[in-house]
Amino acid sequence: MTLHARELAVRASSGVSSAFAVDGVKRMAALAGVILLAILISPAASDGSRIFLDPGNLTDILRQVSLIGIISLAMTFVILTGGIDLSVGSILALSTSLSAMALTRFWPSSSYLAHICLTLLLATLASALAGTLNGAVIALFDIQPFIATLASMIGLRGLAKWITQNANIDIGFGQDVAAAFASIFRQKSLVIGSYALLAFVFWILLGRTVFGRHVRAIGDNETAARYAGLPIRRVKSIVYILSGLLAGYAGILYTAENSQGNPNAGVGYELDAIAAVVIGGTRLSGGKGSIAGTIVGTLIMGILTNMLRLKNVDSNVEMMIKAIIIVLAVAIQKQRRAA
Amino acid sequence: MADLLRAEKVARSYGGVYALKGVNFALRAGEVHALMGENGAGKSTLIKILAGSVKPDRGSILVDEKPVSINTPLDSQRFGLGIIYQELDFFPNLTVGENIVIRNLHFPQSSFVNYRRIDSFCRPFLDQVGFNGDSRGLVGALPIGQLQLVALARALSMNARMILMDEPTSALAADGVRRLLSLICALRDRGISIVYVSHKMEEVFAVCDRATVLRDGETIGTRQVQNTTTAELIRMMVGRDVENRQQTESSRAGDVLLSVNALTTGKLKNVSFDLHQGEVLGVAGLVGSGRSALGAALFGLDPVKSGDIRLRGNSIKPRSPASAIAQGIGLVPEDRKLQGLMMQMSVLENSTISTIGRMCRFGFISRNHENEMAEPLFRQLKLKSASPLSQVSTLSGGNQQKALLARWLLIDPDVLFLDDPARGIDIVAKQDIYRIIARLAEAGKGLILVSSELPELLNCCHRIIVLNQGRVSLTVDSSEASQELIMAAAISAQAGGEQQ
Repeated sequence: MTLHARELAVRASSGVSSAFAVDGVKRMAALAGVILLAILISPAASDGSRIFLDPGNLTDILRQVSLIGIISLAMTFVILTGGIDLSVGSILALSTSLSAMALTRFWPSSSYLAHICLTLLLATLASALAGTLNGAVIALFDIQPFIATLASMIGLRGLAKWITQNANIDIGFGQDVAAAFASIFRQKSLVIGSYALLAFVFWILLGRTVFGRHVRAIGDNETAARYAGLPIRRVKSIVYILSGLLAGYAGILYTAENSQGNPNAGVGYELDAIAAVVIGGTRLSGGKGSIAGTIVGTLIMGILTNMLRLKNVDSNVEMMIKAIIIVLAVAIQKQRRAA
Repeated sequence: MADLLRAEKVARSYGGVYALKGVNFALRAGEVHALMGENGAGKSTLIKILAGSVKPDRGSILVDEKPVSINTPLDSQRFGLGIIYQELDFFPNLTVGENIVIRNLHFPQSSFVNYRRIDSFCRPFLDQVGFNGDSRGLVGALPIGQLQLVALARALSMNARMILMDEPTSALAADGVRRLLSLICALRDRGISIVYVSHKMEEVFAVCDRATVLRDGETIGTRQVQNTTTAELIRMMVGRDVENRQQTESSRAGDVLLSVNALTTGKLKNVSFDLHQGEVLGVAGLVGSGRSALGAALFGLDPVKSGDIRLRGNSIKPRSPASAIAQGIGLVPEDRKLQGLMMQMSVLENSTISTIGRMCRFGFISRNHENEMAEPLFRQLKLKSASPLSQVSTLSGGNQQKALLARWLLIDPDVLFLDDPARGIDIVAKQDIYRIIARLAEAGKGLILVSSELPELLNCCHRIIVLNQGRVSLTVDSSEASQELIMAAAISAQAGGEQQ
């Protein structure tokens, strides 16, 4: 019996350690609870079925959470190292601005394929560069991540507004490359599919690679990590680069979904992403957390939003309810730890 | 003469380990009383009990022959006790005056800060101790010698009749020491009793009237300073028996593995020694003598100012722990919780964290491989854990230390510096760790073992160097060493003739 239990624990801990398997079960229970609640209070459609369970509604939820979901994957890594990235919303704005500009103003004579590839490359490179800047300031100058990314949150927002002259750049209303781009990158299957793929990649990265192990070790005890000879600067730099990259990719999806590059996009996304990570059980102080938890946190937030919208709850009330959920989620985890 | 302060059979244990087993200590009016003992003898615990920050399990404290209970630092202030800690407890961003009046029962408290009132309250006490600086200056900007004076003024302003000073001269230069000692004499002449905790014999003989020696949490005895000798006090401090002292073969036969030549850092001066293959070299010395600084220099934590480190004849320059490890040097740190372990991670992950790159297949960590590498070591170390996946924080101190040792066995450096690896762990785990050290030496590694416990050094090491104020004050074969010899070299005034 005990042997069996231990074997189970070993298997279940493929994420991290055996204590986490227990956490994982509770997390799934929380998600199941929210889903059940959503089904119960969902309004009925004309044929008597639950609107919440309508496949169209379910995939809408997934699509709606995808942008925050993607950003929060890398945010999990950042927070696991004991850091924070406040600049993701601004990086998203920079990426959407740049990609809309690229589609409408740059390289007019290139083929559609080359044009789209160049656009993706530009937006991705710029976002990676922004992340590199964060990582360099934090790792080399030893500046607190909160301050470093607060600065780039302000500065990059300014950059996005400056290059666009603070104007939205509409795309995709003609028969041009921009329309082709938008029609590809707004597809539900592509958006949800890339979220799922990235989630899988980051789950593997955290659980099964040396890099992921180092991320957790540094967040757990940076001094001990230094004494163990871990490449702290490199690991820290990489997590901020990853964070920039994913925020940039989210910006590309944003451009297609909204048919515009918007330098004011993504305001507050950093807080939504942090909320998803924290609801998913990752400690803000670092060292402990999981990608699975972050996905659950993202889904809980998304389902709640959907549920309240289906019930026509005022969006301001929706924010107040979300606030309560965040505090409750973290309070419950605190209790679990004390127990 | 009646005692001003008396501690009777005071005992205190931490998690089953006795820090004090039953200490008797008496302080008379108008005397300077030295409190002496090795690291870990119980001096600090006794001071904490008198300061009201730790409660005794048993025993009683009497002030003016009346039993009292000191539950908070304010209580200790009420009974006229002033404590001057080794690590001075100031608020660095408050002014000298603010630091003196805060939590001061003799300063009429009000809700608003009135600097003029603070100044006029503090000035007489600052003058008494000879502090000429501005009472509105920030404490954080003062040098350590001035801080001592402020601490004394604060104690006086609290109307202290008894002042406890914990190694007050450990960070002072020679003239600072002289001034402090004459101030102590002046305070005694004004009727204030002083408990003077120090290792430094010449200071004890210069100002103290009596000396009490603690060892292993017990009072060994109290002597009139004028009727005793340095040799007697040292004997009282180290008198523990060396049990089953092993015949450690001098293994000079091995080649020189690590050669340190005139190494100088911020805390080390001109340190030279050789470490041979298969040798365990002990490092003795008081806390702050440079024994941990030696590890920090070898492991790339402290910058090396001059001198060189050679491994197998090749000069190496460790710039960081990572580079030290790459060059074949390892360090098991003094504080396993702060510097060693990732407490939220599992036992297995803690031991493989530095070598996990070797346990990958196709770029991904292979859990089977990881287990296969670590499990034999856990068995060898007799590491007891419910499962390798248990969080390391759930383990006992000894098993935590073993998890850390497993990490170093996997890294497999040529030279391993162990900074007090057996501190605060149970006796069985200690033996396991000594066994591993011996086995590593047999395998031709070079080991440097720092310890506060002299019997441990005499048992485990082939040779011992003694550090004193950053210098090597003695190098000796452990077969020729005695606790008295080592202790004398550790506390002697100057680092004496450097033997090599």
